[in-house]
Amino acid sequence: MVNPVLLIVIPLGGAFAIPLFGFISKHISKYVSLIVALGMTVIVGILIPEVLNNPIVVKIGGFKPPFGINLFVSPFSLFFAGIISLLGFLVSIYAIRYIKEGDIDKYHLLFLLFLAGATGVVLTGDIFNMFVFFEILCISSYALVAYNRDKNGVEAGIKYLIQGSVGSAFILIGIALLYGLCGSLNMADIASQIHSVNSPLLSLALFLFITGFGVEGAIFPLNGWLPDAHSSAPSTISAVLSGFAIEVGLYAVLRIVGTVFGATDILYFLAGLGIFTLLIGELSAFKQNDIKRLLAYSSIGQIGLILFAFSVGTPEGIAGGLFHVLSHALSKGLLFLAAGYMIYKAGSREIGKMKGIGLKMPITSFCFLIAAFSLVGLPPFVGFPSKFMIIKSALLTAQGYFFFLVGAVLLGTVIEISYFFKLLQNIFSRTGEEKIDEAPLGALIPIVILAVIILAVGVYPEIVSKFLHLAAYDFMDRMGYINNILGAL
Amino acid sequence: MEFIENYLYYIASFGLILIGLYIMLVKKNLIKMIIGLSIIDTGVNILLISMGYLKEGTAPIFSHKDLLPSRMVDPVPQALVLTAIVIGVAILALALTLTIVLYRHYGTLNVRKIRDLKW
Repeated sequence: MVNPVLLIVIPLGGAFAIPLFGFISKHISKYVSLIVALGMTVIVGILIPEVLNNPIVVKIGGFKPPFGINLFVSPFSLFFAGIISLLGFLVSIYAIRYIKEGDIDKYHLLFLLFLAGATGVVLTGDIFNMFVFFEILCISSYALVAYNRDKNGVEAGIKYLIQGSVGSAFILIGIALLYGLCGSLNMADIASQIHSVNSPLLSLALFLFITGFGVEGAIFPLNGWLPDAHSSAPSTISAVLSGFAIEVGLYAVLRIVGTVFGATDILYFLAGLGIFTLLIGELSAFKQNDIKRLLAYSSIGQIGLILFAFSVGTPEGIAGGLFHVLSHALSKGLLFLAAGYMIYKAGSREIGKMKGIGLKMPITSFCFLIAAFSLVGLPPFVGFPSKFMIIKSALLTAQGYFFFLVGAVLLGTVIEISYFFKLLQNIFSRTGEEKIDEAPLGALIPIVILAVIILAVGVYPEIVSKFLHLAAYDFMDRMGYINNILGAL
Repeated sequence: MEFIENYLYYIASFGLILIGLYIMLVKKNLIKMIIGLSIIDTGVNILLISMGYLKEGTAPIFSHKDLLPSRMVDPVPQALVLTAIVIGVAILALALTLTIVLYRHYGTLNVRKIRDLKW
């Protein structure tokens, strides 16, 4: 058996080892992050069959919960850890060629800290530990957004930092209130006694948690930083920020609302917020001329859809939401990676300057097309079964409120189709510059792998659907969560 | 009067948090906004400490035998605050670094003038 702690320890250790390797050569660092991410992917692969039988509870330092810090590895959390390590691995292949300027070793150090923070948030079972990992994730992403140190990157970085750190302060106030009311930091312990606490401060704490984690989760009124940060960051960072960082924020919101507070009555409110986020994101994406800004706004729209799916509150809805997390991570990761070299070759981020690039870079653009179709939700790709599952689950609730919101989802999809086709029309038009060649092999490998996964899971959704349903039941089973951790004495 | 005596720390900490939020919302200078951020952090730390505070309590160490556990302050919030202070310092350092680079690019710290990126 592999100890799941390794999922956090390996990237953390790798990050601290990079400065040491830097004494030999700065170029070792890119292979360090590649090997670390590969190792994480392998560990997740080994853990999946074990976790399907029984969730694993790791007691760090041997302290029994509720006293020590514990990790809880269940299908739901391992699903997120799997996406983080897989996308992290593919992006680090891409980064070997793509990241050439600046302090390469610092980039890879921050990237590994970023991975460690993200896996820590999804695996931990302690609310303050979650905050600490969340801060590791946030601080490294503030620095990575500003990595190029150009005008836009630094401006986006400081905007992201200011909004994110106010959010973190809110989370900390929430933790303080919760500790004052329940006298515990263990999430299972808090969950077991939260219904016996009767205080108005409890709803204040819930509000503070949703606001705080919602900043990273890009829920509608809190997502002002996202289009700037995602469009100004290096493309590899845009891919991981959009691929799993937002989802990790959303995971934190769900864990707090669903597991710790058990507040099912707030789900209607979250569903409405999700739809608002969706429509605002898609409408803003429609008028963009900058390819990365367009993709960033499209991420806001997709996040809104995922939040809506989780807020449906049935196991099917949650499974659909998880499926869409996977579909969004694969598609948006591919889109940002492909856009990275398209921008590099075209010399501009404007869509108008990309005319004819599709015929000069056939493989990159063809994969770009696959990911765009998948995101819109066309049949043979992974976006179709995931969107279908979400809409089906919302209709199965047979509530007028959700019927109304499904209408809004379909409207959002129509807007999405129109702007993606506008983009693709520009890319595949016949006019344009000569002397543009294909992206290098190091960039093509991750792009093609992602495209193959998108196609494979789209054609055979059965590969993941069983796991997704298990994960959804695991998330819904609040008493099981409490018993698994507190019963493991 | 008794109300103030009992809730003095809570009033002070939420006061500091609100002052910090006010600074961040109203001030135009980036350095002042970062000072506001720092004040919020201080307020949150005081709130955390006051959660475990006991009037005339002792340190949670059994140094001699007539110390009672009920008269000891809660050590957990103090450990949390230690971590929170370190995180706050990291954010502060990164924010100031970015501010220096931003000043080199724009020649100003007025956030109303730093707006190349917008919706």
